[in-house]
Amino acid sequence: MDFSYSTTEKAFQEELRAWLETNLPSGWLDGERKVPKDEKEKGIFLRDWQRKLYEGKWAGISWPKAYGGREASLIEQVIYEQEMVRVKAPPVLNIIGTAMIGPTLLQIGTEKQKDRYVQKIINGEEIWCQGYSEPNAGSDLAAIQTKAEKKGDRWVINGQKVWTSYAHYADQCFLLARTDNSGKKHNGITAFLVDMNQEGVETKPIRSIDDNPIFNEMFFNDAIAYDEDIVGEINEGWKTSLILLSHERVGVARRTFAIQKQFEELVDLAKTLQKNGRSLIKDPIVRQNLTRFRARSRALLMNYYRHLTNIIRTGRPGPEGSMDKMASSELAKEMYAYAMTISGSGNILWGDDAIVSADWQESYLRSFGFTIEGGTSEIQKNIIAERMLGLPKDVKY
Amino acid sequence: MVDFALNEDQEMFQTSTRQYLKSKGGLDIPRRYMDGEAHILQEMWHGLAQQGYLGVNVSERYGGLGQGSLSLVPILEEMGRAIIPGPYPETMAIAVPLLEAYGTEEQKEKYLPEIVDGKRKLTLALLESNGENSPENIQLAANEEDGEYTLHGTKVLVPHGDVADTLIVPVRTGGVHSEYGISLLLVDREDTNIEIQEQQSFEQTRKIAKIKFKETKVAKQQLLGPKNAGWGALQSAMNDLHVALCSTMVGGIDRVVEMANEYGQTRMQFGQPIGRFQAIKHRIVDMRMDLESSRSLTYYAAWALENNAEDMIEAIALARSFTSEAFVRTASENVQIHGGMGFTWEFDCHLFLKRARALENYLGSSDDCLEIAAGELGW
Ligand SMILES: Cc1cc2nc3c(=O)[nH]c(=O)nc-3n(C[C@H](O)[C@H](O)[C@H](O)COP(=O)(O)OP(=O)(O)OC[C@H]3O[C@@H](n4cnc5c(N)ncnc54)[C@H](O)[C@@H]3O)c2cc1C
Repeated sequence: MDFSYSTTEKAFQEELRAWLETNLPSGWLDGERKVPKDEKEKGIFLRDWQRKLYEGKWAGISWPKAYGGREASLIEQVIYEQEMVRVKAPPVLNIIGTAMIGPTLLQIGTEKQKDRYVQKIINGEEIWCQGYSEPNAGSDLAAIQTKAEKKGDRWVINGQKVWTSYAHYADQCFLLARTDNSGKKHNGITAFLVDMNQEGVETKPIRSIDDNPIFNEMFFNDAIAYDEDIVGEINEGWKTSLILLSHERVGVARRTFAIQKQFEELVDLAKTLQKNGRSLIKDPIVRQNLTRFRARSRALLMNYYRHLTNIIRTGRPGPEGSMDKMASSELAKEMYAYAMTISGSGNILWGDDAIVSADWQESYLRSFGFTIEGGTSEIQKNIIAERMLGLPKDVKY
Repeated sequence: MVDFALNEDQEMFQTSTRQYLKSKGGLDIPRRYMDGEAHILQEMWHGLAQQGYLGVNVSERYGGLGQGSLSLVPILEEMGRAIIPGPYPETMAIAVPLLEAYGTEEQKEKYLPEIVDGKRKLTLALLESNGENSPENIQLAANEEDGEYTLHGTKVLVPHGDVADTLIVPVRTGGVHSEYGISLLLVDREDTNIEIQEQQSFEQTRKIAKIKFKETKVAKQQLLGPKNAGWGALQSAMNDLHVALCSTMVGGIDRVVEMANEYGQTRMQFGQPIGRFQAIKHRIVDMRMDLESSRSLTYYAAWALENNAEDMIEAIALARSFTSEAFVRTASENVQIHGGMGFTWEFDCHLFLKRARALENYLGSSDDCLEIAAGELGW
């Protein structure tokens, strides 16, 4: 067992730290961290940030050097996530593009697609969204009904998507549409790269539980795509989407490290809050609950390292990612819930009136999305049961 | 290079221990032991010695392999999987570390080679009347005179009191209630008059005893470690024991999850394997999550112990509390998943449940561990 970084890995870490020192927005490291509230301004702010990342070669670090990446190793990617969490860096606006769509195109895209899209993904010039879910196809993703029909040289797309994150910023959409209805559900789906800036595409914001305009409905009304916009093969979109998902791995690292940090913040909260003139953390019940969270957050990190070691040894990711995803999202949810509990009556004060930082209330609400987005905890459990434990398939597909 | 897994040698230990225990009958070992066949333990112990498992963390000078706590992990896990009776954790994870760190040359020469050869099993006789693990409760008096100690008092809840050849006994040689004044004595069964009474145990593969000392004479050379400062010495060995217990519990959880999984795939109801029902399936996944986390925390604790890491105490406390709770949780779920079968004596579920409960509060509860961790964190 070894928990140390090699000299090159350490150098990588130091280089990144030094870059962050000089390039984070002013006041950021001192804890000011001001992201504009207004959606438009926020979009500009985040685009600027991604541009900066790109210029420093910190936008798509695992990407080939030819496209502005640095061909970082898996461990370096992990260090990257760790450092970004450490300074609570602004989010990457084009995260869907850099983390999943770019790497997928680099893996199975045509030369033309690579030329057309990849550079603009990494430099943040074009923002992407992922059009999977529909009103009647969420967990049962293969049930999608949005249709793409070939008419002459065009594909004409009609249907509705829902819960699409970032669609209101997006220039492009990675869309799953049905191109054949004759066989099994999983066959007959095709993955398209669709231009959002065309007449046939309309987005409508959905007001979320935390009042944060994160996701949208999308309507496709005779929207157009071409053969050259298909990723992978026609009717083989299911395969394409699995390749895309396999690139999400390091995303789990982010949540795992973030939890370590959130735990520290929860402890600080318990130290600050008072009950009967005494810091809450001196209450043995509170203290023990916190220590339990500590054990679980440590376990999460160690599990992640163990899974990572396995990937490095075998050279391929396993279904353990589902475990990390499920456990980290459930734990984050519980930790925020506990912050609400110990905040006492103060927990109902919101916005500028909040006694304890309103971040807690907002994070609490936001965290309900963690166990739903990207596959619910129940779906993750099915995956773990079937792929890791070999238990029988749940639904007869 | 981040590498968080057992190394090849350690993995080999795991396979060979599993094979060996299987060849000896696996879960038949605890079952036969429970039924009164005491010799089965003796036989197995000799086998363990032949395989070298009793010398893993003993220095090479005394015939051992001279390895650290991480190398005990796979062996203990396998023992936990098969609910192996006997004082393996106490011998390897209290006696050996204490002797290695504090033993006189004479003591080392006397005890360590015999441990390695399987000729001597040791245990810890710590608790008294109220069963609380604290220095105030050490009241067994040991008066020194003419080169020997005379002992008076009673120890209770002594694990494996029936089979241990030597007891490590914390006694009071000074002070009254404080940590100061506690010393450790090595008490050999063969040359002392002690009265051993078996206490009925909820977990019959870990026999416990009440041991009475009446005018018991122990030679001065049997003092282990500094006089009057034995409590500190004992606490350092206790770290080893907690890690060892965690590993046996991880082994238990591992087997429990495997049992539940196998049953989920084979037991048919309503024309389907019950593992297709999410009420069962998701419970098994939760059990598996408990296993992963217990194992990770335990590996880390063993690593921290071996490397004397800064956060060693905290790492051990967190591993112990989480793993104890997880073992009780998973062993209970396993009974439920097995339905009526799980409620029978014949089926193995209860062995694990009882072992989990027997270890749950052994020398410290989960809450105690949480408090220790909180203390380490400065809360
Ligand atoms: C914050 C957020 C961001 C999102 N971003 C995007 C995005 O960018 N692009 C996109 O395409 N989608 C996005 N989604 C959608 C997300 O992927 C779906 O919400 C999710 O897959 C669940 O589908 P659903 O909402 O239809 O719930 P349903 O599938 O209707 O599930 C309802 C409940 O039933 C349970 N359930 C369903 N099937 C099973 C089963 N087989 N076994 C046991 N329980 C089951 C679920 O676990 C859940 O508890 C986002 C969602 C959220 C919350």
